[in-house]
Amino acid sequence: MDEVFRALADASRRSLLDRLHAKGGQTLNELCEGLAMTRQAVTKHLAILEEANLVSTIRHGREKLHFLNPVPIHQIGERWIKKFERAKLVALSELKRRLEEDDA
Amino acid sequence: MDVAKFKPAIVYTIYIASTPERVWQALTSAEFSRKYFSGFAIEADLRLGGAFIARAPDGSVHIDGKVIECDPPKKLTVTWNVNWPELVEKLGPTLVTYEIEEAGETVKLTMLQSHDRPLSDDILSGGRQGWPAILSSLKSLLETGNAMTIPMKPPARMLAALKAMGIKTPM
Repeated sequence: MDEVFRALADASRRSLLDRLHAKGGQTLNELCEGLAMTRQAVTKHLAILEEANLVSTIRHGREKLHFLNPVPIHQIGERWIKKFERAKLVALSELKRRLEEDDA
Repeated sequence: MDVAKFKPAIVYTIYIASTPERVWQALTSAEFSRKYFSGFAIEADLRLGGAFIARAPDGSVHIDGKVIECDPPKKLTVTWNVNWPELVEKLGPTLVTYEIEEAGETVKLTMLQSHDRPLSDDILSGGRQGWPAILSSLKSLLETGNAMTIPMKPPARMLAALKAMGIKTPM
């Protein structure tokens, strides 16, 4: 679990996860597009995310595709969120989302 | 069915302190699946074209599929079609692939959910919410002997999106 928190502690890595959340199955090239990061830096961050199992990769033909892997984050949730709290948390998130959408 | 036309939409990986054989058994047997998959029984006829079914606790067939690739204990691909009226007609078939690799003392299990067409985030929210719970529970079962009971129900946004497409959902 330490390496998950270490991997998440970096804003650039979180932004890579955001990009994979918005669109799964991106190649390194796609992930680099429009980012103020060198290709080498993106490669390094992806390696750390993959090491922490926050990113899954597969080979699809000649391409390496990257996917957000939320399983470790789910396990963190399971550790600290009790069964009966979950429904309330989902309701609160949903309320927040709706209210913020109305503002937008 | 042309498997090459399918692209993975969801790819999840989990490391489990177990052996590939035990992970394979857990993924393909009712005895295990009832514990980590909300009481659902996996009934798999493990040969190409064999039936692959997930039976709900009430006895009804929830997932109705067939074995597409079978290489025990390394790789299993099945069609994973939720048995709701019109669903396959409207969304196309769903493929689920499990890849099992030894990784030192542990096993790396990768689950891929693939489709032959792009699907919306609302539709995919079901898999995105369900799989981490199923895989985490499977890991607990194999590592500790006890599965986690994680309450699971289809996300409202998925049900709404399916209904909008004219798919009849039981909830």
